[in-house]
Amino acid sequence: MSSEMTTQPQYYHDEIVKRLVQFSVAWAVLAMAAGVFVAAELLWPTLDMGQPWLSFGRLRPLHTNGIIFGFGVSALMATAFYSVQRTSHVPLFAPKLAWFLCYAWQLLVLSGGLSLLAGMNTTKEYAELEWPFDIAIALLWVSFGIVFFGTISRRKIRPIYISNWFYGALIIVIAMLHIVNNLELPVTWTKSYSLYAGAQDAIVQWWYGHNAVGFLLTGGFLGMLYYFLPKHAGRPIWSYKLSVVAFWAFTYSYIWAGPHHLHYNAIPEWVQSLGMVMSLVLLAPSWATLINGVMTVSSAWEKLKTDPALKFIVLSLAFYGLATFEGPMMAIRSVNVVSHFTDWTIGHVHSGALGWNAMITYGTFYYLMPRLVGTELYSKRLANVHFWLALAGTMLYIIAMWAAGVSQGLLWLSLDETGELAFGFRDIMSSMAPYYGLRLLAGLIFLGGTLLMAYNFYMTTRSRKTVKVEPPVVDPAFGVV
Amino acid sequence: MTAFIFLGDMLVMFFMIVVVVWVSVYESDERIDYTASIPLQDESEESLSHG
Repeated sequence: MSSEMTTQPQYYHDEIVKRLVQFSVAWAVLAMAAGVFVAAELLWPTLDMGQPWLSFGRLRPLHTNGIIFGFGVSALMATAFYSVQRTSHVPLFAPKLAWFLCYAWQLLVLSGGLSLLAGMNTTKEYAELEWPFDIAIALLWVSFGIVFFGTISRRKIRPIYISNWFYGALIIVIAMLHIVNNLELPVTWTKSYSLYAGAQDAIVQWWYGHNAVGFLLTGGFLGMLYYFLPKHAGRPIWSYKLSVVAFWAFTYSYIWAGPHHLHYNAIPEWVQSLGMVMSLVLLAPSWATLINGVMTVSSAWEKLKTDPALKFIVLSLAFYGLATFEGPMMAIRSVNVVSHFTDWTIGHVHSGALGWNAMITYGTFYYLMPRLVGTELYSKRLANVHFWLALAGTMLYIIAMWAAGVSQGLLWLSLDETGELAFGFRDIMSSMAPYYGLRLLAGLIFLGGTLLMAYNFYMTTRSRKTVKVEPPVVDPAFGVV
Repeated sequence: MTAFIFLGDMLVMFFMIVVVVWVSVYESDERIDYTASIPLQDESEESLSHG
């Protein structure tokens, strides 16, 4: 201990965290703007002005990839790096590699986005990028793992905090999913063919697709929740034991749920049933986390009145509960027969993406940014306005898409007295304009709030340096010998 | 055969996870309390006051 006290102080590497947060906010603005534009195209299809790169087919994957890989992954890297240093009581392992990852990832998202605009596309949802980008993603993801697990391996305390288990699962499982789903045969620099064919291709794709939602958009962000909620509420998680049980139950049950994306398709019926049952089982770990979160914050309600960051985090819990209830219900085959191929699915995805992922991230960023530069937030008032815009935008979006989706599903299933379809596809879609108008408005409102946040952060961090924070003294009873 | 391998895989994974959860949860209360409070005491107070 005495030799450690005479050495130079070691500081957490928080400059990387700040830069990743800035990149994440920039991607949020750009990718959400792309989303608003494609929402407008569904109302006014001629908005593409005959330009292929402005068409729905190219801009839609740009929107989803920008949100998931740009906004989402940058936020996850930022918060994983922030929390793993602190919960391990050591600065980041291999900080130069972390800096390389920080910039290389942004370059990858930018160039990948441009390739989608140019029309390069594997046609696999959420895995649209072509093979050179797939290899780059795999290499950078391994770098993420080296920095993260390297930091844990050098930790000064024995216990590994629960948020690190979620971030660890994110890194390991996404690597596995990405590599297996993207095994493909390149035929040119810009075109490849999957090694799988037919039903096998579909099963592998939705094993990837659903678990990307599970371990990236749910598990990764649960890591964020388990660290930043107690930190911000100023009290430990309500039941640590419950969080451990929830983690393992979540990890076990999520991995089997993918086939619910393929109900009534050409895959074995028992695989569909397994996907449905495991989706229903998922309710238990999802709501265990919800209960743990609500009980943790229940003794800090007073803070909610004045603290916009905590408001976002608590609201994200509500939408997490909603989305993780709706998902298993939609996985039931008799419900799925109505919801599949309708806008109900789009509404469900956005109740998760806007209500859960974006809200928990915004709450975390509002907590982080002022602390990273050692000051107060530039404007709490703007943050409160953002909160109400985000809530209004999300609610409007999911109500519009739920109404549109249920209408579509029921109308498509309607038969006339001769047993023929009562309504044609074109008739149904032409009645969707009011819902699509509301969706566009909701997107604009949500984007407006995100722009306010970007301005607030710019003013908060403008010409301020990142604060240097040291690890605490280790409790000898729990230190690594 | 496929279903047998599949169900066997699920059962083995389930057993392993039950063991891990059992080991994790049956720690001493002192250690669990310490672990739960890690986020509340992971920054040096001194360096924060100089921030």
